Amino acid sequence: MRELELYFGPQHLGMIGNFSITLNVEGDRIVKATANPGFLHRGFEKLMEQRTWIQNFPLVCRINVVEPDHMELMYAMAVEKLAGIEVPERAQYVRSIYLELARIGSHLFGLWAYANMLGFDTVANWAMYHRDLILDLFEELTGGRVYHIYIWPGGVRRDFPEGFKDKIINTLHTIGSCVPDYDNTFFNNHIFYKRAINIGKITHEEAKRMGAVGQVLRATGMKQDIRKIEPYAAYDQVDWEIPVRTDGDAYSRIWVVRDEMIESVHMIFKLLDKMPKGEVYNKIPNPFKWNIPNKETYVRCESSRGELGLYLVSNGEDKPYRAHFRTPSYNHGLTILEKALENESIADVGNIMISLYITAPEIDR
Amino acid sequence: MNHTGTLLKENILSSFDDIHVDVVDEQRVSVKCKKNLVIAVLSYLKRSGYNHLVLISCVDWIKDNELELVYIISAYTEESEKGKMNILVKTRITRDKPELHTVIDVFENAEPYERELHELYGIHFKGHPRLTPLFLEREYEIPPFRKDFDTRKYVQEVFDQIPFVEDKKGGK
Repeated sequence: MRELELYFGPQHLGMIGNFSITLNVEGDRIVKATANPGFLHRGFEKLMEQRTWIQNFPLVCRINVVEPDHMELMYAMAVEKLAGIEVPERAQYVRSIYLELARIGSHLFGLWAYANMLGFDTVANWAMYHRDLILDLFEELTGGRVYHIYIWPGGVRRDFPEGFKDKIINTLHTIGSCVPDYDNTFFNNHIFYKRAINIGKITHEEAKRMGAVGQVLRATGMKQDIRKIEPYAAYDQVDWEIPVRTDGDAYSRIWVVRDEMIESVHMIFKLLDKMPKGEVYNKIPNPFKWNIPNKETYVRCESSRGELGLYLVSNGEDKPYRAHFRTPSYNHGLTILEKALENESIADVGNIMISLYITAPEIDR
Repeated sequence: MNHTGTLLKENILSSFDDIHVDVVDEQRVSVKCKKNLVIAVLSYLKRSGYNHLVLISCVDWIKDNELELVYIISAYTEESEKGKMNILVKTRITRDKPELHTVIDVFENAEPYERELHELYGIHFKGHPRLTPLFLEREYEIPPFRKDFDTRKYVQEVFDQIPFVEDKKGGK
């Protein structure tokens, strides 16, 4: 049969995000897939070298549209480590709660994309609505819906407003009460099972060899989570479990995402109970005359997609000398995707891509 | 001082000559070596269980006329002590004709990282199967992430030369 070249994205209907894959197909079987990123390359890392330490906060949160909060955390943590700034205990709890809310929001966005792609429009609309409820919380806390610039070196910008704790609990109860609906309509639906089982399968060995992190790795049976390995914020103060599955296919990955959302909700309740009183930020030096010592650091956290890291170098001046984000989608989108698509059908390209949880802005930066 | 870091330092120092190891804190170890040792050090670390290449980064030290390659390695493990460790393997190469051997044979996921550094810093990786453009759509004389690439001047020279549509329409 004749081999054809097919461009999948960025304008393809099945593509979510500004990403493109060049497929070599024979009939509807994929012979070879080549990832083609760059549609969102904004050169943020170069731009960061030309702005002062504080001016970079509005930049870093724009690197990944879906989850700006973990980017803020990474940059704040790296600056704290370089400048030797301590964070008060209450701020650590506030950060954890805020980041878990962001994780749920990001997972709901992911669920929207996945359900939408499979044709489960109802579930997709529910997920988008529930994400919006979380954005309402962010709006009250920070003033912004999508980009918050809330985490700051030395803590967070402001404390929870009055009655905010009850609002978080109410919102999470509203979302949580719909879990049986989600399960009946989507997760336990045989159509989802048939579309996702044994699709885009990655073995544990392959996942390790190709640098998988996050759900992609946890769906192959490994309990790896930076929140456990190298606890930051207040993640070591409460008990929680890492959800795992063993099959390594799209079905397992989406189930890991679902279980993680539920685990995050439980974690927020535990954190809210234990939250101490006190200050939420330590004073930092005058940001206009802030020179950070000649040092370098690598910090990492668990974003909703896996291990997110930042390599930050200072040469003693008022601007970063070099910043390089290590993003989870990078290896998922450029190495694993190409392997996972081989010998699959064209109809499953979107399925595999979204189940690998790839977001283009993170790859391009 | 912490146990895993010091043990790793001793092991590396006994296996290689001409290498500098620094235990930064509980979770970070920094290794400085010559460029011809990189592959040997990385394979040694992989054999010792540090089997995850996290990131390959590059820093342009223009004052020294050198580029510094940084390979960040960690471990896929559920053991807490080993899992915490991140090893930064660093090597410096000259800026004028930067060339280095690829590490794809050791870590398969190095491929896109090296492609990116080739594009943004102009480093040639010998033995890399596809050093084709990754993000950029134009050719640059100076690779754009180097310190001597002046973004402002580039914008003025390239984009400011494109006429506005209003001028063609004849008035505003």
